[in-house]
Amino acid sequence: MGFLAPLFFVALAALAIPVLVHLIQREKKQIQRFPSLMFVQRVPYKSTQRRRIHNWLLLLIRLSALALIVLAFSRPFFTRETPPLPGTGAREVVILLDQSYSIGYGDHWDRARAAANDAINGLAPADRGSLVLFSTGAEISLRSVGGNDRAQLSSAVAAAQTSAGATRYAPALKVAGSILAESPLPRREVVLISDFQRSGWRGEEGARLPAGATVTPVPITGGTEAPNVSVTAVSLTRSTFSNQERVEVTAAVVNRGTRALTNGQLALEIGGRPLESKPLSVEAGASASVVFAPFSVSSNYMRGTVRAGADALAADNAFNFVISPTEPVHVVVVDRGGSGSAGLYLSRALAIGDAPRFEVTVRQADTLSDDDLRRAAVVLVNDVAAPAALGRRLARFVEGGGGLFVALGTRSSWAQDVDLLPATLQGPVDRTRGDAARIGALEYGHPVFEPFRAPRSGDFSAVRVFGYRAVEPAASVQVLARFDGGAPALLERRVGTGRVLLWTSSLDLAASDFPLKPVFLPFIHRVARHLSGYSEPAPWSTVGQVLDASFGAAAVKPGGGVIVMPSGKQVPLDEEGSEVFELAEQGFYELRSRSGDGVAAVVASNVDSTESDLTGMDPKEIVAAARATDDGARPGTAGVPLPPDAQERSQRLWWYLLVLGILVLGADTLISNRLSKS
Amino acid sequence: MSLLGAHTPTAIPGARFMDPVVLARIGNLELVARAVCDGFINGLHKAPYFGASVDFAEHRGYVPGDDIRRMDWRLWARTDRYYIKEYEAETNMNFSVLLDVSKSMDYGSRGITKLDYARMLTACLTNLVHHQRDRVGFVAFDSEIVEHIPPSAKHMDTVLHVLDRLKAGRPGGRMKEPLHKVAEHFGRRGVLVVVSDFYEDPEEVVDAITPLRFRGNDLIVFHVMDPAELEFGFSDAQAFEDLESGEQIPVVPDAMRKEYISLVNAHISALQQRFSEVRVDYTLLNTSQPLDHALYRYLGSREKRMRVR
Repeated sequence: MGFLAPLFFVALAALAIPVLVHLIQREKKQIQRFPSLMFVQRVPYKSTQRRRIHNWLLLLIRLSALALIVLAFSRPFFTRETPPLPGTGAREVVILLDQSYSIGYGDHWDRARAAANDAINGLAPADRGSLVLFSTGAEISLRSVGGNDRAQLSSAVAAAQTSAGATRYAPALKVAGSILAESPLPRREVVLISDFQRSGWRGEEGARLPAGATVTPVPITGGTEAPNVSVTAVSLTRSTFSNQERVEVTAAVVNRGTRALTNGQLALEIGGRPLESKPLSVEAGASASVVFAPFSVSSNYMRGTVRAGADALAADNAFNFVISPTEPVHVVVVDRGGSGSAGLYLSRALAIGDAPRFEVTVRQADTLSDDDLRRAAVVLVNDVAAPAALGRRLARFVEGGGGLFVALGTRSSWAQDVDLLPATLQGPVDRTRGDAARIGALEYGHPVFEPFRAPRSGDFSAVRVFGYRAVEPAASVQVLARFDGGAPALLERRVGTGRVLLWTSSLDLAASDFPLKPVFLPFIHRVARHLSGYSEPAPWSTVGQVLDASFGAAAVKPGGGVIVMPSGKQVPLDEEGSEVFELAEQGFYELRSRSGDGVAAVVASNVDSTESDLTGMDPKEIVAAARATDDGARPGTAGVPLPPDAQERSQRLWWYLLVLGILVLGADTLISNRLSKS
Repeated sequence: MSLLGAHTPTAIPGARFMDPVVLARIGNLELVARAVCDGFINGLHKAPYFGASVDFAEHRGYVPGDDIRRMDWRLWARTDRYYIKEYEAETNMNFSVLLDVSKSMDYGSRGITKLDYARMLTACLTNLVHHQRDRVGFVAFDSEIVEHIPPSAKHMDTVLHVLDRLKAGRPGGRMKEPLHKVAEHFGRRGVLVVVSDFYEDPEEVVDAITPLRFRGNDLIVFHVMDPAELEFGFSDAQAFEDLESGEQIPVVPDAMRKEYISLVNAHISALQQRFSEVRVDYTLLNTSQPLDHALYRYLGSREKRMRVR
């Protein structure tokens, strides 16, 4: 018999409490008022009476109840003879074979396959073997094949190839755990064949094997000493030269090998053709950056590759990227025309900057054509009396995904039957007398104001507003900024797939000095960016990333498209184009429309650069974490554990003890009540 | 106590016995007094000396200044001397209750305090006496004289009013000082009733009370005690607080009950002994007993007094 929580025996000290209570038995705190203590004081005071235990039975009952409860909490259990450790018997063997691209270093891959074959050959006829190939994820190649069918396993090993993924041990161990957990065989083994990179292990990550399973690590390390160069990133710097966009490529190169690289070459290829080659020398454990001459970006989806020759680990020597000419954001400013300055301030503000570049078209309310709206991503309407027809056209524009910015002035009016603005317009508020209105509360969490969140990042309170329009915000409308009096200054509403921003003052000097303040330019840029939904296109992705639904969605017509993988394999996308697609290979993924051969989008895929760091770790760390069991029992030595119901039976004694203790307490209550009544 | 046992309520034929706790709920003292006394007087109707009116006492020689209306002309006719007729003046006697209102009286273990009991007793006695056209007075005292109503035939209502708003406020000191002081006011013979719990040495109590007899007053002493004081029926060990001094001492009642009861009995016996020596009528009243006892005791004492005379 043992105890799960023997520390609870400390609570036996509580047994002293009833004894002390019996002995000390302090007078009750209530005071008995009595006419006169004349006679009481004459009686000699005796306290010896209280030092005698009056009722031994009660004391014993209380002590035994406490002792029973303490005993119950210490969780006694019976140890039974555990069944003998099965030294013999059939085995369930799971072979975890690392196929990350780092295993391609030197002859590691051949050695790994040889180790897998050794493990397969060690299978007895009664044994069963599984082959799991793992890199970023884990894939069961063959599951629970009998020992007589070892040839199947061997051929699966022979057919296995290295992937472009990085090493992750936890998913592989989880898969092995699930296979072993379902196995009825008495002995369970995991053979882990890997180069054991430090970068592949981030703590145990919940990877636990069933109790009794053993892990046999087979480290594939060592080999020739050689430089291991990898191109980890490129930086693309755009510039405009004689109306042509040019890009300068800077490549970062790291040598993680044990020897320095001398007389190497780093080449830049564009569209598959070598463009420039530069000499490369990197010391062991050092990094270098190489700048290539700028080249013109002439077409969309130009494919670039920076290649660092060949070395022991070839997969990380090439770095792919995709570059396209920057698309300007088309902005239409609708002005009331005449001598107004608002269009001037807006146009000038949008003309500055090239990330993104804004292409501004100024129109008046009556000259805004459908073609303008079709090309535009954002429409800025400043102090314009919009007729109902214009309102409906703008509403359609916004519902189709466009962005609309409306600045209200004294002349602004909006047709009542067009439900587009986030608020109902009311009368103008004149603040030319007394203090001008200031912009008070800003919603810094919103993308428009997010860059102004940090201190000294733009002071909106310096803006003086002399007149604005009172508005009544509609329901489910977000107020992004307010004037100091609490009146809304900027409101946002989502309409369809587009957005509408409403600035309740005008953007000329008649109503405020906002255009003269430093925050005006970044504010207008943020508004245009936000409304156009502009985001920098990523020049490359990493293997293991997932292409989201927006990938090529705009370019592929309804009817679906086909993704062409770097290996040439074609994967059809479904009609909605919403299928998630995980990058698994290194190279360029193309999205083509099914109808024709036109390339709709190209994504460059690169291997994870952390994988090229071959720094090893102690395999025992993984083994220890994988075999640790939940109840803290030593793994691998307990033999076959008791089934859960037997374990529960052996520990159920505490429950009876607790019930008995409670019963004794109840008896104590009854007896003491009787005694006090008598 | 043997005294109580001798006067069990059943000894009085026809009397209605009301529980003091019930009476205390009535609140109106006049009503209480009437409720108790009416039945009581009916019950005592056969008493030979009850209702005795003006009785001739003696003749004395006329001295100048005497009222000639009291001259006995018949005797003058026989003897040719002037004599004045003198009568017993008992129907006009003074009756005063001296009530102890010290803090210790404000104790009751069974729904009625000793003071309430004493107030009802006073009201009943006063009512009884008032119906006989006697003059009633009242004195409340603790360590000093708290209230003083001189005896008068018209003071019945005043006495009841004062009794009604009487509260035990201050701790009592020695009885000697207030009682000696008040004794000077009783110039005329009468009946004095002292109601107290007598938490004092018996010698001092007697010393304090005997001066009240000096001018020929009849003195009746009622010793009011709560059953808890007599039996000490507490069970839990706890702190006891003296109502008079506020002093607290831890008490284990079980351990000292015997000694306490014997001390109280000795005190009562001593009081009884000393009062009988000075010819003062002493009665112990238990507040759990009906009021009729006290009234019976009072009338019994009058009966004895008149027999002696």
